[in-house]
Amino acid sequence: MLFHSPAWDSVTYWALDIETGGLDARRDPIIAVGMLPVRAGIIKLGEAYRTLVRPEEGREIRPESVRAHQLLRGEVSAAPPLGDVLLEVDRRVREGALLVHYQAIDVQFLKRAYQRLGRRWPRPPVVDTVELILKLDRKTRFVRPADAPADVPSTNLTETRRRLGLPDYQAHDALTDAIATAELFLVLRKLLGARTLRDL
Amino acid sequence: MTALDPVAYLRATPPFNGLAQPLFDLAAGALEVGYYPAGSRLVAVGGEPLQHLYVIRKGSVRLEREGQTLQVLEEGETFGYTSLITGRATLDVIVEDDLLAYRLPAQDFQRLLADAHFAGHFAVGLSQRLRSSLEHSPVTTFKADLNLEVSQLLRRPAVWVAPSATVGEAARVMRDQRVSSVLVRTEPPGIVTDRDFRNRVLAEGLGPGTPLLDIVTRPLRTVEAAVPISAAWTTLLDFGGHHLPVRRGEEIVGVLTSTDLLKCHAPGPVAVLRRVERLADRSALPGYGTKVAEMASALLAGGLEADVIAGYVARLNDALVRRVLAFAEADLGAPPAPYAWLTMGSEGRMEQTLLTDQDNALVFADEGEGHRAWFQQLAEHVNGDLEAAGFPRCTGGYMATQWNGTVSEWVQRFAGWFEARKPQELLEASTFFDFRRVGGALDLGPLEEALSSTAQHPVFLRYLAHAALDLRPPGSLMMRLRESAEIDLKMQGLSPITLLARCYGLEIGSRERNTRARLEAAVKAGLMSQEVFSGVSEAYRFLLGLRLRLQLRLLSAGKAVVNRVALSELSGIERSRLKDSFRAIKSWQDMAAYHYQASL
Repeated sequence: MLFHSPAWDSVTYWALDIETGGLDARRDPIIAVGMLPVRAGIIKLGEAYRTLVRPEEGREIRPESVRAHQLLRGEVSAAPPLGDVLLEVDRRVREGALLVHYQAIDVQFLKRAYQRLGRRWPRPPVVDTVELILKLDRKTRFVRPADAPADVPSTNLTETRRRLGLPDYQAHDALTDAIATAELFLVLRKLLGARTLRDL
Repeated sequence: MTALDPVAYLRATPPFNGLAQPLFDLAAGALEVGYYPAGSRLVAVGGEPLQHLYVIRKGSVRLEREGQTLQVLEEGETFGYTSLITGRATLDVIVEDDLLAYRLPAQDFQRLLADAHFAGHFAVGLSQRLRSSLEHSPVTTFKADLNLEVSQLLRRPAVWVAPSATVGEAARVMRDQRVSSVLVRTEPPGIVTDRDFRNRVLAEGLGPGTPLLDIVTRPLRTVEAAVPISAAWTTLLDFGGHHLPVRRGEEIVGVLTSTDLLKCHAPGPVAVLRRVERLADRSALPGYGTKVAEMASALLAGGLEADVIAGYVARLNDALVRRVLAFAEADLGAPPAPYAWLTMGSEGRMEQTLLTDQDNALVFADEGEGHRAWFQQLAEHVNGDLEAAGFPRCTGGYMATQWNGTVSEWVQRFAGWFEARKPQELLEASTFFDFRRVGGALDLGPLEEALSSTAQHPVFLRYLAHAALDLRPPGSLMMRLRESAEIDLKMQGLSPITLLARCYGLEIGSRERNTRARLEAAVKAGLMSQEVFSGVSEAYRFLLGLRLRLQLRLLSAGKAVVNRVALSELSGIERSRLKDSFRAIKSWQDMAAYHYQASL
């Protein structure tokens, strides 16, 4: 681990959130993608990318997921196909690091999608705000045990933002969740005192 | 505002809320989000100026100069524009609470400045900034009809008859043309309405052969064709007629009726006036207050200024008092001597927006001395009727039942007030010094003269000024959200202005009662610079409007109407303008404090 790690704010982070038709990355489709970059520590709304995705043949939107994202089959049937969307995602992801809230969902779905279309996953560095929340909790327990709460804190995006003084945004819209994740990242980065990408 | 994403939040925040959609999309497309921990210094005096306009979403910043905090900005407020406009960093900007800010790059900000409303918001001068916040954004002025020119309400050219016509001939012309009035080609021109036929012809036992010249009203009260409907209302309320000839230059282009004005805006003052005029007896008095509040609410939503609305309310209240005086005279018989019914305080200044405590008094001619009982009864009747109409009794007891007397007695009272030194006496004096005659025929010349002679009592004036200067607006450091600060809009904002304006007015012997008119008179007399005047008068307008909006909100929620408001209930822009207003008041007070010690 002696390689040089770049200063945290010299890296471009593409915050990403996807809405899916269910929770199983093997069977359920990606139906919406929202992305935007954090450059030099500033979130750039003007470069945001958001799109709905047409589910592949045979993959359905599960009714229980509709309750969250409010997207119906009819709304996404005219959207661009997954292949086109992945080209857009790929171009961005290769620019720097990928920033997600809970990679076990978002990154898994992406990897599976790449796989199905016969593409190679570019293996970008991934920064996961859920991991940062847990890291911060461990740090607090170590440095100031008296301040640490009895339980491990919630890693829910909305609840964590609220706890850290960030405003409420409408959840379950891919782009808004990506913005929410990017802002949360900036706060956590500061609280962790992270200086390089490796610290994150 | 909950759950608004950055773009939606920006859209709801002035001045972005007033931008046309294409321009706003431009701004949204360039928006950035930054996070700055407490203690960060965003800019230092003389250093690199800011390159963005910042809109605070969470947290707060301090604006400092030489270590002195000038202002604390919080949610919904903007900063950075001084850097962007002047290209210089004139203040230190330090993050006080962890800051989440939406920011707009300099070149995009510059492009938005092409929009006049947007640019006005960032005017460097305090008074321009306040004024632009009072202008209405395209999204909020949904009822543009109040700003229509009156000429657009005219349905036909005016109908004229020759001065030689008889009443019968005129009546036939009116029937054939289906109009309720005709203009008479006299020099100057006059008007005859169908009411005149009833009141001046039939009721007087005259016939159709009566020459029109015997009953014509001259000269005409007119309005200019280009004035907005709201101005026509004021004229109509002022003279109490129902027909308003409209003039373009010298030419009369048509006659507007109160029905035309009523149709174009049903909840306007004309509707309330009609209600007052048609009050058959006391039983119809309750509900008047509600009608006035509904009208104020509709007009405010229609984009009218609070001070204009206050003018209507005062004129309507006057009409109501005159109606109630007529009831009393019908009960008590003709007055034994001429009298004048006075209204005082904010009502006297024509600055009342919703009905508040009665402030009134009664003056009668000296020959009424032997008929005090009659006048006492008049006062009791009227005070009671006004209470029924929705004006609560005055808790301080400033009502005609307690305060009545002959002209000579009143002149003596005024003279006594000039010797006033105690707070209670000064309060009385200042309440009564805003008197205005609403009803009755008595000439108030002697009281007006007493008032004009205030300037000859410098010690009194100085006491009055000191009492006015005792009311201070809150310091900017008190105005923080997180301290859950509360503001009293009356005691900390409006009263400091009205009290001091009164001192200035009295000092120069002005007969004006209205605060703005007093301030204008002070500028003319050289007591006040144009700059201070604009700051203070815009602050006054802003505070009056803000209070009216808040009070109507309380009223519609069925709550008691108060003057206190928690800062957290205000939007970012309102807080920001409130701070601007308080600063304008404070700097005027500093000058006034100097003036009343040095020159008196």
